[in-house]
Amino acid sequence: MSKEGRRSFLQIATACIGGLMSLAAGIPLIGFAISPAWKKGESQWVDVGTVDRLKNSRFKKVNYTFTAKDGWVKATKKRSVYVTDAGNGEWSVFSRTCSHLGCLVRWDESKESFLCPCHGAVFDKTGAVVAGPPPRPLQKLEVKVENGLLYVKEA
Amino acid sequence: MKQFLNDRLPLDGVMAHLRKPLPKHINLLFSLGSLAMFLLLLQAATGAFLALSYSPTPDHAYNAVNYINDEVPFGKFVRGLHHWGASAMVIIVFLHILRVVLYGSYKAPRELTWVVGVLLLLVTLGFGFTGYLLPWDEKAYWATVVGIEISSTAPVLGDVVAKIMRGGAEVGAVTLSRFYALHTIWLPWLAFGLVGLHLFLVRFYGSSGTPKNTPEDMKTGKPFYPDQVFEDVVGMLILFVILACAALFAPVPLEDVADPTNADYDPRPEWYFLFLFQLLKYFQGPFEILGTFVIPTVGMLLLLFLPFLDRSERKVLWKRPIAMTVTSVCVVAIVGLTILGATAPKLETQEETQPTDEAQQVTPPDTETTDINEGEDVFDFQLTEEEIENAKDVGEESE
Repeated sequence: MSKEGRRSFLQIATACIGGLMSLAAGIPLIGFAISPAWKKGESQWVDVGTVDRLKNSRFKKVNYTFTAKDGWVKATKKRSVYVTDAGNGEWSVFSRTCSHLGCLVRWDESKESFLCPCHGAVFDKTGAVVAGPPPRPLQKLEVKVENGLLYVKEA
Repeated sequence: MKQFLNDRLPLDGVMAHLRKPLPKHINLLFSLGSLAMFLLLLQAATGAFLALSYSPTPDHAYNAVNYINDEVPFGKFVRGLHHWGASAMVIIVFLHILRVVLYGSYKAPRELTWVVGVLLLLVTLGFGFTGYLLPWDEKAYWATVVGIEISSTAPVLGDVVAKIMRGGAEVGAVTLSRFYALHTIWLPWLAFGLVGLHLFLVRFYGSSGTPKNTPEDMKTGKPFYPDQVFEDVVGMLILFVILACAALFAPVPLEDVADPTNADYDPRPEWYFLFLFQLLKYFQGPFEILGTFVIPTVGMLLLLFLPFLDRSERKVLWKRPIAMTVTSVCVVAIVGLTILGATAPKLETQEETQPTDEAQQVTPPDTETTDINEGEDVFDFQLTEEEIENAKDVGEESE
């Protein structure tokens, strides 16, 4: 093999070894960093109080806590919702998280609307967007009543 | 000693390089780059010391910052320098870029210097975004929630990017840990690498000078060292005095501890993201993505590739009407939106007629905590004599 041929072989071999090592280390490292992307959240039913206590509520602000895994800790998560007793055993529970960028909306009794303090979003009492930037209505949580308790589904 | 070092290192060559003359008409605006580098070093130094007393977990972060503020000697001052230094860095980097645009210094052959500079602007904003989650107060929490939600609106990969940033379904322990790692390890490495490359390119191509420099002017100005270096150092001193005064006399804000249920809080980002915060109000419904993704991304790409879009050799500003118009519009828009965002009235709602219900959960929360019987030893690491004997027996059997 000529000197030139030998040197071009060494160049290619060096690039191959470097590339191989980069792949061998890079794939697990990138997988490590982006692993949250394919982790699926677990949903659970959380009771927000007794039906008796929440009876006749109208856009009543209810704060509750539940336990969920947050990385390596079992963390106590805090949530806030608006609960309405529609009668006939029907309930509507609105998440307070604005469908725009995640700020917490507030119910304004005089305007009969949910208002967002961040970018001026306004939702009517059905959760539909009336004004402002949100592309979707306010999220209505799944509910169920069991043994006299009102449960919401936490995603 | 000098001879010893001279025999082993190319010091004379370095000094000769540093003494090379700059172009004529170099003014104070040419110190902005040095000031930005000084601020990066100041942030690195103060940040390294703050990290000695900080703990990046939701349970401890807020208390750690309070501890730094109230109990660690000079803690308030060091934190003040770091806080106001961050704001100063954004201003200085912005002015530096503006100077380069107005003087046409990004033009050939300095395109790469410009590209690396714009990447450094992104790193600076990255430092700001990852840094203000660390105190774990209301502002930290809500600004991060909104910031990450903005990224989730990007098409195709938006949700994936948001999940990677959060490290989970919502802002929590993993997010704080990730942001701390980005702020103190990833971004500093990136910043110092890019600054090294930027400096190399600046020295390699030399100063671009001012638009009125003739080719003869380019190598007949004052030497970089000591003349320009002295001016830079005086600028650094003035800047440091201003920051020190701010750290001493302007309290660094620390709001209440982060509370994901506090809807009475009006989230506002740091002042240097207020223009984006305000911009988002103008794009509604299906046009939301224009404010959250299209305009910021296109704007940043145009900035990044500016030297390849503006290929004319003219540097004098009044002979570049398009560049002057676009720059003016951008500056007015950013400053105007920032002022509008800062002065936007806070939301006032009529209080609900019914009091808030703090749910008293009837079903036990989903925890792994087990009850401990009275009298039970929880952390009994002392072996009994019987256990010691058993352990000996096992050891003897295995031999």
